[in-house]
Amino acid sequence: MAQNDNLEKKSSISAEDLARLSKEAEEEATPSSRKIIWNEFKADKAAMTSVIIIVAFILFVVIASFFIPAHDYKEVNIMSYFNKPFTPDFWLGADSSGRSIAKLLIVGSRNSIGIAIGLTFISGAFGIAYGLISGYFGGITDMIMSRIYDFMIMLPQLMFIIVLVTIIQNYNAVTLTLILSLFQWMGTSRLIRSRSLAESRKDYVAASKTSGTGNFRIIFREIMPNISSLIIVEMTLSFAANLGVETGLSFLGFGLPNGTPSLGTLMANATDPTNITQYWWTWIFAAIEIIVLCLAVSYVGQALRRAADSSQRLGME
Amino acid sequence: MSLIEVKDLEVHYPIRSGFWNRVTDEVLAVDGISLDIEAGETYGLVGESGSGKSTTGKSIVGLEKPTKGQILYKGKDITKPRNRHELDYNQDVQMIFQDSLSSLNPRKRIEDIIAEPLRNFAHLSKDDEKLRVLQLLDIVGLDADALYKYPHQFSGGQRQRIGVARAVATNPKLIVADEPVSALDLSVQAQVLNFMKKIQRDFGVSYLFISHDLGVVRHMCDNIAIMHRGRIVEIGTRDDIYNHPMHIYTKRLLSAIPETSVEHREEAREHREAVEKEFQENQDRYYDKDGKVLPLIAVTDTHKVAMPQDEVDELQREDD
Amino acid sequence: MWKTILRRLLIIIPEIIALSILVFLLAKAMPGDPFTGSINPHASLAHIHHLMRINGLYDPWYQQYWNWVVHLFHGNLGMSYEYQEPVTRIVGERAINTLWLAVFATVMTYAIGLPVGLYAGRHQNSRSDHAIRIYTYVTLSVPFFVVLVLGLWIFGYMLGWFPTTGSINTNAAPGMGSVISRIQHIVLPGLLQAFFSLTGIVQYLRSEVIDATHSDYVRTARSKGVPVRDVFRHHIFRNSLLPITATAGYAITGLLGGSVFTETIFSYPGMGLLFVSAINYRDYTVITALVLLFGFLNMLGTLLSDIIMAAVDPRIRIE
Repeated sequence: MAQNDNLEKKSSISAEDLARLSKEAEEEATPSSRKIIWNEFKADKAAMTSVIIIVAFILFVVIASFFIPAHDYKEVNIMSYFNKPFTPDFWLGADSSGRSIAKLLIVGSRNSIGIAIGLTFISGAFGIAYGLISGYFGGITDMIMSRIYDFMIMLPQLMFIIVLVTIIQNYNAVTLTLILSLFQWMGTSRLIRSRSLAESRKDYVAASKTSGTGNFRIIFREIMPNISSLIIVEMTLSFAANLGVETGLSFLGFGLPNGTPSLGTLMANATDPTNITQYWWTWIFAAIEIIVLCLAVSYVGQALRRAADSSQRLGME
Repeated sequence: MSLIEVKDLEVHYPIRSGFWNRVTDEVLAVDGISLDIEAGETYGLVGESGSGKSTTGKSIVGLEKPTKGQILYKGKDITKPRNRHELDYNQDVQMIFQDSLSSLNPRKRIEDIIAEPLRNFAHLSKDDEKLRVLQLLDIVGLDADALYKYPHQFSGGQRQRIGVARAVATNPKLIVADEPVSALDLSVQAQVLNFMKKIQRDFGVSYLFISHDLGVVRHMCDNIAIMHRGRIVEIGTRDDIYNHPMHIYTKRLLSAIPETSVEHREEAREHREAVEKEFQENQDRYYDKDGKVLPLIAVTDTHKVAMPQDEVDELQREDD
Repeated sequence: MWKTILRRLLIIIPEIIALSILVFLLAKAMPGDPFTGSINPHASLAHIHHLMRINGLYDPWYQQYWNWVVHLFHGNLGMSYEYQEPVTRIVGERAINTLWLAVFATVMTYAIGLPVGLYAGRHQNSRSDHAIRIYTYVTLSVPFFVVLVLGLWIFGYMLGWFPTTGSINTNAAPGMGSVISRIQHIVLPGLLQAFFSLTGIVQYLRSEVIDATHSDYVRTARSKGVPVRDVFRHHIFRNSLLPITATAGYAITGLLGGSVFTETIFSYPGMGLLFVSAINYRDYTVITALVLLFGFLNMLGTLLSDIIMAAVDPRIRIE
């Protein structure tokens, strides 16, 4: 503690002052930028309403799906074959197997949204890490990582996903999410890389290096917080896009295993010429739900972007 | 023994071009320089932008990887990352940056910024650490309420003082100050320079003071090296450089120091023009045919200059 | 510029090799063997082993890969199990249909996207600009296939304006009649594809025009008294147009990716629909050929765009 003694001689502040001074400092504390963005966002009434509706809807389908026994959406019930919608027993009608569309919609929403969330987190985390590392180290590391990226975006991704799903015999929601993530990280990583490249050249990174902070700590604790608003916006927007990934795949018949309801499999009812016109209720509610959900989520994403931009104008970044 | 010895340091950047993107040429940012920094002194490194002075400074703190040469600290070559790690090198050698805003992470509070080197090197308890940060703030003349604020809330001069506080946090032996005041207003410059001097007196730290402005360096430095085109053109004590400049480039830099007295404005301008004329006419005698700086020749024990021996002799005769 | 282009061409070689290895490994991973369906189901196990051996299926993977590549270069992609015909012939027939659809969609994308984007940029913050921004927001948020289904339902079934399946009416008269029938089948899916892919062009042009309007050179021209219309025609439009044409190659990638959905929904017999049915029939030779072809076309598309970019814009050079 020789150094400390040296300091103490030069500074009038001693240990007794610590509590008093830190209390003073706390009173003067500035809110964090995340808080400022949040305040900006809260002021946007339409976006706040969207968030509340989205969260409430997700909670509703998750909770409600627990009360729907599996046989309700797995078993065939000839009696209610193509039951019309808006009847007491079948609010939203029934499909060709006599299963309630409303129940399928609830369970399907839970599955589809769940996969979209999982996909957003897994592919997002990978894309963020990939972009940060590639941009931070630069040089040969960046060159190799960029080549891999270039190659990945040139693959016919949908086809690869479908082929992988057919090859892997026993897959479930988790493996499906992982397969999808394999092909969904590139957009995020590209965006993050360019920002990481710019941030890494700034002096605060050099200062961290001379302060003895390790590379990975610098990447994730120094640089990442500086692009956190970008990350939040990007994750929200990619959540909207990811809702389309699993539903699209299930729509083609390659999504969740057979008999697992999804918004996509409900949409797939529309591939039948008689269903699409005569039994419109079998698919249209799923279509409406997908559209409304995607619009709402990406509206939130854009409102977040606006909030982040205006907090930037306030000088936070 | 010197605190730090730089030996034949070279930093070359490859220029890639052509079809295969092969290295076709090199930028000789630093092209073989040597200097010794003593404990407790302020060493001035002066040159125009692009002369390689910042690259030299960055190599000394370990931010730049030299192509060739050695930097010896405690007898070990710290251009090797392993040696830097073993010595906890950056605990002893720190840096102050030119751009105070970009050198402070905008997302971190002042407490976390100043405590960063402490957390990596000193491993104090939470309370000790906070106390230390408060003391450091006090030393650079900032109040305790700065603790939980963000960099953008401070003025340029205050931010630079925060940078100084971070640099002295681990009580280093050497601080590389890369144009620490050139982004500040004149009045604030003096303030920050005085803090730096005070800290030097209190802590006995050495500075490598990098600047393009010989006027600022005069007040700070004991020894000075003038860099041009990646090499040292003249090196010596303050007296050597300011009162007995020999190299044409040094003279040119000296004539560029702004004159504050209005009466001598005309004289100063004429002098400047005369030096510039001399520089243009005699340039080829001070540089070789590729425009490179010549090897250094000792004039006195402390004074070395990069010019031909016969020129040195001639100038010395004139002096006598 | 030529160096850049040549280097870009060379980069594609390792990419093609990597793609072919990946596709080959996928093909190997697919269950079943190449003889499924083509030999007597009562053949003995020993006989199958014998067939596998003489066809090199017990060779190390790189040996097999090499044989496969040699076959590829001879245009031999194997036989389709489902159709009992050479894969090249089946894919070839479908490729023409996909090509027609893609060409139509591309033409439509530019025919609509250019004027709309320019208009939106010129009349920034007008009511129609607002509508265009809502449109881009919707197309960027809503999944492609949902809009395709709704489009088919509304314009195909409810309004009956367009045929809902196939690529040609089988009763169409030969000659002109069949051409008209083909076009009729292409219009709706092509327009819907264009509806999605022109978003990028509209967004890009809009911001280009807005930036240019505030740029110094346009201000100078304006202050010299050049009429607004001429400024747009001679300065802004010309500056923005070249990068736009360069995106044509990237557009191929997007259209091919979308073709699986478009063709499935409109039962349009192109490569996308062929792929889905091949997957359902486990017709592996066809699947392999299609994945390889699509990957190759994607590469060509990006290559094309990169080269146009390099030729057009001196700022863009491949590192």
